[in-house]
Amino acid sequence: MFLLGAAGLLGFLGLWWGLSASGLVAKQFLPTPLEVLARTLYLLTEPFAGATLPEHLARSFERYAYGFMLAAAVGVPLGLLMGWFRWLDDMVTPVFDGLRFIAPIAWVPFAALWFGTGIGGPIMIIFSGAFPPCLINAYRGARFVDRTYIEAAQMLGTGNLRTILQVLLPASFPSIVAGLRIGAGLGWQSLVGAELIVASAGVGYLMVQGQSNISTPTVMAGMIAIGLVGLLIDVALRQVEAFVRRRRGLA
Amino acid sequence: MSAIVFDNVGRRFERNGQSFPALEEVSLTVADKEFVALVGPSGCGKTTCLRMAAGFEMPSSGRVLVGGVPVHGPGPDRAVVFQQFALFPWKNVTDNIAFGLRNKGMLAAERQDRVAGIIKLMGLEGYETAFPHQLSGGMQQRVAIARAYVLEPEVLLMDEPFGALDAQTRIVMQEELVRIARINPRTVLFITHAVEEAVYLADRVAVMTRRPGRIKEILDVRSVREAEDWHRHTRVEDVMDLESFVHLRTHIWRSLREEKVDAEH
Amino acid sequence: MGISRRSMIGAATIACLLALWAVLTMVTGTIDTLRFPSPVQFWQSAKQIMTTGYADGTLLSHALHSLELVVMGFVVAAAFGIPLGLLMGWNRRAEALINPVFLLIRPIPPLAWIPLAILWLGLGDAAKIMVIFFAAFVPSVINTFTGVRAIEPHLIEAARMLGTGRWRFTSEVLVPAAAPMIFTGLRLSLQASWTTLVAAELVGALAGLGRVLNVAQQDIYPSMVMVGMAAVGALGWGTTRVLAAIESRAMPWLIVRA
Repeated sequence: MFLLGAAGLLGFLGLWWGLSASGLVAKQFLPTPLEVLARTLYLLTEPFAGATLPEHLARSFERYAYGFMLAAAVGVPLGLLMGWFRWLDDMVTPVFDGLRFIAPIAWVPFAALWFGTGIGGPIMIIFSGAFPPCLINAYRGARFVDRTYIEAAQMLGTGNLRTILQVLLPASFPSIVAGLRIGAGLGWQSLVGAELIVASAGVGYLMVQGQSNISTPTVMAGMIAIGLVGLLIDVALRQVEAFVRRRRGLA
Repeated sequence: MSAIVFDNVGRRFERNGQSFPALEEVSLTVADKEFVALVGPSGCGKTTCLRMAAGFEMPSSGRVLVGGVPVHGPGPDRAVVFQQFALFPWKNVTDNIAFGLRNKGMLAAERQDRVAGIIKLMGLEGYETAFPHQLSGGMQQRVAIARAYVLEPEVLLMDEPFGALDAQTRIVMQEELVRIARINPRTVLFITHAVEEAVYLADRVAVMTRRPGRIKEILDVRSVREAEDWHRHTRVEDVMDLESFVHLRTHIWRSLREEKVDAEH
Repeated sequence: MGISRRSMIGAATIACLLALWAVLTMVTGTIDTLRFPSPVQFWQSAKQIMTTGYADGTLLSHALHSLELVVMGFVVAAAFGIPLGLLMGWNRRAEALINPVFLLIRPIPPLAWIPLAILWLGLGDAAKIMVIFFAAFVPSVINTFTGVRAIEPHLIEAARMLGTGRWRFTSEVLVPAAAPMIFTGLRLSLQASWTTLVAAELVGALAGLGRVLNVAQQDIYPSMVMVGMAAVGALGWGTTRVLAAIESRAMPWLIVRA
């Protein structure tokens, strides 16, 4: 099985290299894997479009972190409360459903007008991407919590606030963590989109500059970097999620 | 001649790089049209025996033969009734039952006849277009049995078929099975951990030891049933009240308890 | 059928927000209408784009253009993705062979393909379809794959026991069993398609809703931006409902989800 996997990978790389090196596809469009690798290494230390690759990544990640944390900080508590207080659910859901279908990226022009080129713009986009899963999963976790936990708490004379904090929240935790993981992924994707359109630094901006300078290796290096970071974020959060599930005996 | 023969069958399984025996030297014959129930403690390998006869698993040693031919893989000649019903949720009752017949290439007219016949036999009239999720557990299992029976298989393999049903439904289904088996006798291998069920239904009851399982003893229930004329009672609870029934049941319980006691030492 | 309490509260909330919107923009002037349009401005822009047009096209022509591209990319992605997912789910060898390549492609966010697509195919429709394809392809494959792997083993054993031939097994057992997850994948693919399309059109296009947004932003015309966003939302909602309708027609045996 492992051999098959290695064969598949090598086959793919071989095909790529073959198409490029033989000139079947112009070098301009499809650089060889080696060229891409070389360019990536080069960009690790040499600046392009204003900064080195790690520096661009850091700027991107900074915005991403703010946007994501905001989405989580608003989405999770709101979702929990909506799951608990029916009237809040009735109020918020129609508004949320209305806005939800607007692709996060469609907020970019609006954000640009509202925030200009400041950090507020990207954060808004990331927020609109990461917010729905955080909210929905917290809501689902709270709403569909096993009724017997709530009844047990009521029987023991637990007040509202304490029930929410000490029964609802822990019971919803696996769902919340799953929502955070999905939100993290969507937020990262939204960030990339935002940076393609309005940014003066960051990995998305790097790729746009690479494209206008017809430097395909640069564009591909950017793609790899974005993919790698996105993968790391996902893997890290999956570990957290698995840990939480194991602690609960859900694994 | 459709007999099931377990010829010195052994089965090992792997875990963490080590191999453990699940079954050892199991030899058992289910004669043509005989109903044999296999009982034993949890994990003794009785389901594994059935799965090998069905062709889902292969023995590590020995042979499993059906109708004199070694089993290589699953097929409609060895129809299986699963504990979890395993009906296709996206097909209605009629389509579920007809599916195996379509695979055999049976033509529509004959198929419809056969399916209608079995629906009548199993008491499923009126439910022809219902989907499994709309039926109770007992009804679903009737469909599963119908699906197996309609194939007119050499051999019927039933893997704790009533295990997922509630107690009352279970009793009804036991009576049903006896009724159908009388109308349409088949060679049956029936797995259960409910001893009364085994004694009520079977011609012979084979008792297995705990893991690694082997056949501990085989009791001839049929001769007792005929000698004591259990047939004069149609209701399960009446039969189960008979002294001869209780005697057999208690014997098997004691036999199984020995297995449990040994396990705890 | 009475009006439920739930929808009354919902309607009331929306009415309040609309009223608030109107008041803050038109009456008190708390919100600067250069940045955030008033309801009246929104309506005027909507009328404008629907009748005389904006950014070289009417609302209808832009919307149709975007819709066309989304549908094309989505359908092609599903047509390739679902069979691939079925294959990988069923055949361990195929999975082992294809998985590494897939794992390489997968982490790259769909939008990150845009610069590359522009380099390869320019600013026309082809580049858009390519990006939409990549965006919609991955969720289709993954969810179909998961759907196959999640099939209850006893269903497969029952099918084998009943002597099911290959083709019938795929069409009457494998696909229906995996269908719920396949549709989940299609829903995600559709979402991804819209996001990608709008982004691609924002970067550069000659027609489409993204172009409307782009031009409106450059013209500093917030109410038109809002109209564009509303149109995007409406089309997204509409296509999702169509997919949901197909889903419930295709799987009549499923108990309706809440």
